[in-house]
Amino acid sequence: MNTIFRYTLSRSRGGILGWGIGMFLLGLMIVPVYSSFEGQGEMMEQLLDAFPPEMMAFFGEMSSLDTIEGFLEIEYFAILPLILGIYAITSGGGMIANDEENGTLDLVAAHPISRSSLFFGRFLSILTGILAILVLSWLGLVVPAQAMENVSLAGIGTPFLSLFSYILLFTTLALALSLLLPSKRITSMVVGIFMVADFFIQGFARLNTDLEAIADVLPLKFYQGTGWVTDRLNTSWFFGEIAVAVLLLLFAWWRFARRDIRVGGEGTWEFPLISKLRRGKVEVSGD
Amino acid sequence: MSETFAIKTEGLIKSYGSFQALYGVDLEVQKGEIFGFLGPNGAGKTTTIRCLLDTIHRNGGSVSVMGIDPLKDPVAVRALVGYLPGELSMEANQTGEKLFRYFNQLRGGKAEWDYIREMAKRLDLDIKRPVKTLSHGNKQKIGVIQAFMHRPELLILDEPTSGLDPLMQQEVLRLVEEAQSDGATIFFSSHIMGEIQAVADKVGIIRAGRIIEVAETSSLIGRSLNRATVRFKQSVDVASLANVQGVTVLGHDDGTSVTVQVEGEMDGLIKALAGFPVLDFETQRPSLEEIFLAYYKDGTD
Repeated sequence: MNTIFRYTLSRSRGGILGWGIGMFLLGLMIVPVYSSFEGQGEMMEQLLDAFPPEMMAFFGEMSSLDTIEGFLEIEYFAILPLILGIYAITSGGGMIANDEENGTLDLVAAHPISRSSLFFGRFLSILTGILAILVLSWLGLVVPAQAMENVSLAGIGTPFLSLFSYILLFTTLALALSLLLPSKRITSMVVGIFMVADFFIQGFARLNTDLEAIADVLPLKFYQGTGWVTDRLNTSWFFGEIAVAVLLLLFAWWRFARRDIRVGGEGTWEFPLISKLRRGKVEVSGD
Repeated sequence: MSETFAIKTEGLIKSYGSFQALYGVDLEVQKGEIFGFLGPNGAGKTTTIRCLLDTIHRNGGSVSVMGIDPLKDPVAVRALVGYLPGELSMEANQTGEKLFRYFNQLRGGKAEWDYIREMAKRLDLDIKRPVKTLSHGNKQKIGVIQAFMHRPELLILDEPTSGLDPLMQQEVLRLVEEAQSDGATIFFSSHIMGEIQAVADKVGIIRAGRIIEVAETSSLIGRSLNRATVRFKQSVDVASLANVQGVTVLGHDDGTSVTVQVEGEMDGLIKALAGFPVLDFETQRPSLEEIFLAYYKDGTD
């Protein structure tokens, strides 16, 4: 498992560094951007009043934009789940499916390593990557925020902890689905649609109370990127998301251990019904 | 009993969803022999091999590899096996050397680097170059070396000479024979009859997921099928060629050229042609499917 872990981490270090440095720079830039808005609260109020209420609903409590906490919530923490969600879907969905689709997994899996070692070695490298990106993101925000009042390192860390459980959830969801669905492309599409739909449902639920019941069970509801200065981490939400992620991970492991490693030309790359229809079509055309 | 066999399968069944790929494959490969596994594309060669390594799980029957059931202890089986996949894909950005290091680590560092370098030299492969800069043939050489590098007890090679030029094909076949001399068993799949004939002690023929025949290689030699096209300097009477044993005249063009099919050795045809003013002589190897149609018309289909 150690060999798999180190090799996978080394292979993905470029991606991890790219995402990590990008997020670090975004953090470095976002606080100075706020500084340029600081003291222009009245003008911001007027600007916000001009927005339609439907649009305002997506950003939550917009009136707090003239404080550093509110500004970071709206301009930074509110969009982080979507940005890092892309990383989660790509890395989780591709953990096994990438190598399976390009054909390299067949040779690796024929070496004397168990499926469990292969699976958990790779997953640990993804977990390390997620943690590295989140730490770099946090550092990017901490450096400029140190000069500001009312902003503590721990306070800034709270949304990142919450983001960790959210990202882990989507990583394991994509991983589990990639072992069920015929291709990585379909997995990315399904999980991506789910993630964006969650984002919109949370927004619309602020306008339409009928949607609250759905919004309350979707992952973004449990993301604590807002209210992070005054509120402490809701550990029930945090560990609840972690628990779901662990269940998805265990399901994915169970599935991988029992499933065939796919190679080209086997007919397992499609949904069974589509595969059947296509075969029927070929047989008809072959007559 | 099964310890005398490197590989033994009984009633091996494998399906992919509603598609059945193997219909009860029975194979016995003795320890120390080179076993050629012959069949056209899509016959079930790769599926059988992948069941042996448990990269895919069988749906029925029994399998024993070096006395171990791969379903029960796949890691132990793979530790004894060197495997070259039929569809070889490797990390494009890695060099051959890095891949050998990685594969060697996965095997607990059993490979000998001197042996790796020696094989690379014999196969004329630069192991410092990234895989993405290599031709198909050179990638295949990496695959060959990684299969041999830890001197496994059992080599499972799925179309090992695919993409190699004739000289390198010969070198790989020499490696196979050397491995056998060192005591290894080689299970060697191919769709080229000539290559199997060159090295294998025994041949198993698979078609449409069923073993049609298992035979000594020497018994297949007499069954080889070739096609020859002969062009003459002037028009000749080719009717006499039809009387040569094993020769069937498929067609001729005004006596200036003739196409014949030869079963078995070419000796009779060559001697018969000695009396003709031959301008050009060209042989073609028919596809395995054509050979099967010729020899197994009343087979399982």
